[in-house]
Amino acid sequence: MADPTILPATTARRRSAFEGLAVVGRHGVAEGSPGLTVREMTGLALASVVARQGQADNVRNLVAEATGIDLPVSPRRIEGAAGTAGDGLSFVFSGPGQWLAVAEASAVGRFAAAAGLDPAMAGGAALEISLRAMLAGAAAVAGQGDGRGVLRLSGPSARDVLAKGTAIDLHPLSFAPGDAAITWCAHVDVTLWQRDADPTYDVVVPRGFAGTFWHWLEESAAEYGIAVVTPG
Amino acid sequence: MRIRCPHCGERGNEEFAYLGDATVRRPDHLPEARAGGEGFADWYDYVYLRDNPAGEHRELWHHVHGCRSWLVVTREVRSHAIAAVEDARAVARARKPAGEA
Repeated sequence: MADPTILPATTARRRSAFEGLAVVGRHGVAEGSPGLTVREMTGLALASVVARQGQADNVRNLVAEATGIDLPVSPRRIEGAAGTAGDGLSFVFSGPGQWLAVAEASAVGRFAAAAGLDPAMAGGAALEISLRAMLAGAAAVAGQGDGRGVLRLSGPSARDVLAKGTAIDLHPLSFAPGDAAITWCAHVDVTLWQRDADPTYDVVVPRGFAGTFWHWLEESAAEYGIAVVTPG
Repeated sequence: MRIRCPHCGERGNEEFAYLGDATVRRPDHLPEARAGGEGFADWYDYVYLRDNPAGEHRELWHHVHGCRSWLVVTREVRSHAIAAVEDARAVARARKPAGEA
């Protein structure tokens, strides 16, 4: 009988949320250029920041001092400026006094240095540790990287595809680059934001709903043609 | 029906969950656990009795599929017209402690 304390190698390996679902290649209609391009963002570090009672302004000041980022108080995503300690880091409004911190892999060390920690730190946990050091006593910080999957949707039909799943008005007059929403898409709780006017959107999905969400996405985008590109 | 969340903007009611009457206040004393005991009537009222106005009503809603804030919605129950949406935390902080007029 197998030793139940030893996990098989396939279980122990790190798997991204959409592994086995987002199969690299062309899907849906095969003719013409793809209307939707999908990339799973496996390199991002995510952490939730929740201000303690009466500490929201303090949190905003601490983050602004360290990174130059003015934390949003409405459904927006604010990015750090290039060349600053906040470069590659962004904060998405997640409710009053609450934010989702999103860091590119290359930004984590820079942010750790801004928090007074070792700039050689890397990986998702480093963002969480740095935020906790920076906001000690002012906010509760929890890593979210293992609990969420992030898809980057772009291409000429990205808006039409997303509109099939969410009631948010995505018309450019109503929802523009920098805007974010915590909402429902395909009956799944998501956080989404627009990155640029192409348009490009990032959609953050609870990991356990990756299969449900992917099934909806592939069916909804099939008529436009889908290109799934290498995650990263 | 659409509800204008003070944090997120106007959203469809599929994002919200209804709790109930926002006008009831939890008594700040413990009841004597028998009918007719001191404070029992306040608790009976708080737990069981609700007005059912055919008109404007204040209700607690949760923006559960959005920012997860509790809201106090003032709604005309005959037409679903919403007169006001407030952050429940702000409403609770603004009101006087139980017992004060």
